[in-house]
Amino acid sequence: MFEAGVREYREIYWTPGYQPRETEVLAAFRLIPQPEVAPEEAAAAVAAESSTATWTTVWTDRLTTLERYQARAYRIEPVPGRDGQYLVYIAYPLELFEEGSVTSMMASITGNVFGFKAIRALRLEDLRIPVALVKTFQGPPAGIQVERDRLNKYGRPLLGATLKPKLGLSARNYGRACLELLRGGLDFTKDDENITSQPFMRWGDRFQFVMEAVRKAEQETGERKGHYLNVTAPDCEQMLERAEFASELGSPIIMHDYLVGGLAAHTTLSRWCRRNGMLLHVHRALHAVVDRQKDHGIHFRVLAKWLRLAGGDHLHTGTVVGKLEGERETTLGVVDLLREDFVPANRARGIYFDQEWASLPGVMPAASGGIHVWHMPALVEIFGDDSVLQFGGGSAGHPQGSRAGATANRVALEACVQARNEGRDLTAEGPAILKRAAGSSPELAAALETWREIRFDFEAVDTPDVIPT
Amino acid sequence: MKLETFAYLPAMSAEQLGEQIRSILSRRLVVGIEFAVSPDPYDHYWTMWKLPLFGVEDPVAVLAELDACRVANQGAYIKINGYDPVRQGQVVSFVASRPDRGA
Repeated sequence: MFEAGVREYREIYWTPGYQPRETEVLAAFRLIPQPEVAPEEAAAAVAAESSTATWTTVWTDRLTTLERYQARAYRIEPVPGRDGQYLVYIAYPLELFEEGSVTSMMASITGNVFGFKAIRALRLEDLRIPVALVKTFQGPPAGIQVERDRLNKYGRPLLGATLKPKLGLSARNYGRACLELLRGGLDFTKDDENITSQPFMRWGDRFQFVMEAVRKAEQETGERKGHYLNVTAPDCEQMLERAEFASELGSPIIMHDYLVGGLAAHTTLSRWCRRNGMLLHVHRALHAVVDRQKDHGIHFRVLAKWLRLAGGDHLHTGTVVGKLEGERETTLGVVDLLREDFVPANRARGIYFDQEWASLPGVMPAASGGIHVWHMPALVEIFGDDSVLQFGGGSAGHPQGSRAGATANRVALEACVQARNEGRDLTAEGPAILKRAAGSSPELAAALETWREIRFDFEAVDTPDVIPT
Repeated sequence: MKLETFAYLPAMSAEQLGEQIRSILSRRLVVGIEFAVSPDPYDHYWTMWKLPLFGVEDPVAVLAELDACRVANQGAYIKINGYDPVRQGQVVSFVASRPDRGA
């Protein structure tokens, strides 16, 4: 007989001590229940509403075996130093998710629970994606090693710059700005995220002028060059049309804004890139709306994991130094999740679960935002070789212009890499290394003088909560 | 012509080159030497100077091979590579000798 009525979520969905299976998706949420709601009930509600339950029993429950599909809250712990906040662990059976689909994971896990009245705030801190699910994804179109092999660039971080001003240049002048940076020594230039196809510069004109600049810089320098042509478009048909034109022009790389464009569009593009031998640079506009506040939203490490599954060859992360948020330990955790094949749990870096990637290619982290030559030793130390360092203002803001600014950054980078390889300590000796290199580079000397006092020392908002040991 | 990593620094002395080679060897990478007379950014395959130097652990031995390659190929650009058998790819590469810059 069917018994109608409302049962407490915890009767079914709170299973303390449950041992999750290897194939289950595990989530760690930071949860603040309403004052009158017990943490166990709130945790169970999250598990219930993101899997099989609704607020009341329904007769159709009896047509299936809910135990097979229900999520289980299996551990709750108070957040150190934060009253009324709990870390809640939930296990989701593999059967709940469609193969190769980030959208399926997003809709399931971040569905209605974030708006649930009994919960004041909720943040998805981390997600363990089981190997069984990882293996259903393509991942990055090329990956770090294939990108290096294609472009013939080894043993150092890559250098890029976003073209400035962000908006308002004609296509021809834009190509000029690109040429000066590339011939000065950068590997890549980049469209800013708000450059798509405005009246002052339509995408087709931009692509043609920029690719002329790329080819010319390659001929001059004997090095491979590229420009991240932004193909983020109003719809998927136009996105692919732009990608195809970039390919026809011989561009090695295109760019997409994965959160703005959406994960379905992004996955389509990533698969197109794999088929067409195109590298994919990924921008993350919108992320800070979702990930910056500690109490509510989705942590960037989860957005980064989703991107590695859906596919991208570069992804913007925090920079630690510079003008944008990016606390050191948290950023290092994200960088590991993008590049390594196995990342162990590490609470000091906000990583709650071991993550195996099962040979999925790695993504290069891209550091950008208010960085300049003085930051170079720290950036080389923090990010290592497999990264892209982007100096937009830090190149074009040089007193002698973009070309000299680019050269200054390239000299600074190579001096740091050389010194590091010689076994020198970049943290302690960084300024001395830069000054010595400036002795044979007037471009670097001028850059060091220009940005001597520029710092961005503000307290980070998004920090991991751990008990100091 | 710039030609990638370290192209924007002054030419390295033999001692500085030795330091870079020492760093490659200390990472347990396999050193290889390749040369080309007219480098092209789209050319992935320069000519190999002998096989990669499997088992070589002394930077001096690598420098001797670099010299031998230079003597045998006057006017060539010569690069030193570090190959990582674990990652199954080249992870270090720089031009160590070029006709227009001495050293």
